[in-house]
Amino acid sequence: MSSQSRRENVVIQTLGQIGACGLFLLRILAAIPRSMRHVRETVRQLWFVGAMSLTIIMVCGLFVGMVLGLQLYHVLAIFGGTSASGTALSLSIYRELGPVVTGLLFAGRAGTSVTAEIGLMRATDQIAAMEMMAVDPIAYVATPRFLAGLIAMPLLCCMFCAMGIFGGYLVTVDWLGVDNGTFWSNMTANVDVWQDIINGVIWKSAAFGAVISLIAVFQGYTTAPTSEGVAYATTRTVVASSIAILALDFVLTAFLM
Amino acid sequence: MSQRKSFAVGTGLFIVLGFASLAYLATQTSSIANSHQGAAYRVDAQFANIGQLKERAPVKVAGVRIGQVQSIALAPGKDVADVTLSIDKQYSQIPVDSVATIYTSGLLGDQYVGIQFGGAKTYVADGGHFGLTKSTQPLEEMLSKFIGGGGAADAIGGTYAVKANFTNVGTLSVGAPVKMAGVAIGSVASIKADPVKLDATVTFDIDKRYNQIPDDSAAAIFTSGLIGSQYVAIQPGGSPNSLKDGDQLVLTQSAMQLEDLIGKFLVSGSSGGSNNASGNGSSNTPTGKH
Repeated sequence: MSSQSRRENVVIQTLGQIGACGLFLLRILAAIPRSMRHVRETVRQLWFVGAMSLTIIMVCGLFVGMVLGLQLYHVLAIFGGTSASGTALSLSIYRELGPVVTGLLFAGRAGTSVTAEIGLMRATDQIAAMEMMAVDPIAYVATPRFLAGLIAMPLLCCMFCAMGIFGGYLVTVDWLGVDNGTFWSNMTANVDVWQDIINGVIWKSAAFGAVISLIAVFQGYTTAPTSEGVAYATTRTVVASSIAILALDFVLTAFLM
Repeated sequence: MSQRKSFAVGTGLFIVLGFASLAYLATQTSSIANSHQGAAYRVDAQFANIGQLKERAPVKVAGVRIGQVQSIALAPGKDVADVTLSIDKQYSQIPVDSVATIYTSGLLGDQYVGIQFGGAKTYVADGGHFGLTKSTQPLEEMLSKFIGGGGAADAIGGTYAVKANFTNVGTLSVGAPVKMAGVAIGSVASIKADPVKLDATVTFDIDKRYNQIPDDSAAAIFTSGLIGSQYVAIQPGGSPNSLKDGDQLVLTQSAMQLEDLIGKFLVSGSSGGSNNASGNGSSNTPTGKH
């Protein structure tokens, strides 16, 4: 009996979290006009979540492309189709790996620090102090970080994809000896700019960016104001973002295809 | 102030880099890279079967890209495809009796339209028409001629050995089936290189039940399917004498390289022909050919 009520409690708590998260999204969106006064803060956050994530994104993109090139080459060699490695490499990076891996890295690199920062602001009563000084904390703290994530993710994803293609090129063409012209011409023949790059890379990664930064900001903003609460909130950001990315990826792929 | 400036510069750099990557992806790795459109003129061609041809597929003469497929539509009231080709203005001297053919680039590659020049002195103009076309021929149809079926023989009643020499065994391996009329009658027992004649000596173990095989039969190495394994096919001859243990098959046909086969098809396709679009209307039934 008690275990059943606890289970109901968990369901109700989860539903409550999702609902609160949705309402929080509305507050963030409503605060966008007011946050235009703090555009410098948005730029600072863009620097923090975007430009500071460049190294990890580019290095990971390079290695993902390299290992993908290696794997594809050996699989395609079974069928004597190594000439298709450029096509397979670019399509798998654009359609799936680019947005998803960038999203997971972004959640780990930028989402956590946003949650921890806002959570610490909450724990040290800085947010309450802002309200006292008639500064809207949503417009000054939440919205700039949300917008920065929304803008940074597609850009990071483009760089991830470019590095991935470059890494795959290094392995398949320079190392394993696939013909350079075949690699590029098969790629250009099969990659469609709307279907694969705009739909696959830009829309998907923008959606992931919005979801990750919403979760990160929400978890930080609603954290219990203790050091333990901040720790939990940071963990929840990574877990919830990862699940949201992979689930949303399926839904978006089904819609955008 | 200097700190603030550094993050502003860094953010700007980040945004510029991001858009540069996007521009690179969009222009260098996508189909936009192929669709540079200078001044072009349009020519129609009608095909009985376009296979996997897509819009924006290249149009080539002698392998050189001269334009692209602009649109593909079903010709009104007929079961032929109306393909509009957009060809660069600089290649304006294409004879009117040229032949448009749909080819596949490589085994897994995309299809493109190849144009072989005719001998006419007049050239096709904007809005013109290629009267002579040759449609795509499904790879399955070509390969179905070489495909066998069936598994290995059970060899319960004992076997007898027969030898044959091949100049090239391809990827034939020991244990591969030996088939007659598509039915497995034995297996490959050994493959050795002949040190004197410099070819491959293959020994088959053939089931004793099949002891009526004429001794002038031919042995050929075939491939089952596109990426299947290779097997030996026995084609019976007309001799009254049967094969005995230790005999040698004199008539052999070595493993064909798939590249050779396809090369032959492409070459014969480009030189042999000028089918009218309506000429091979409904030949696209690969499964019906087995």
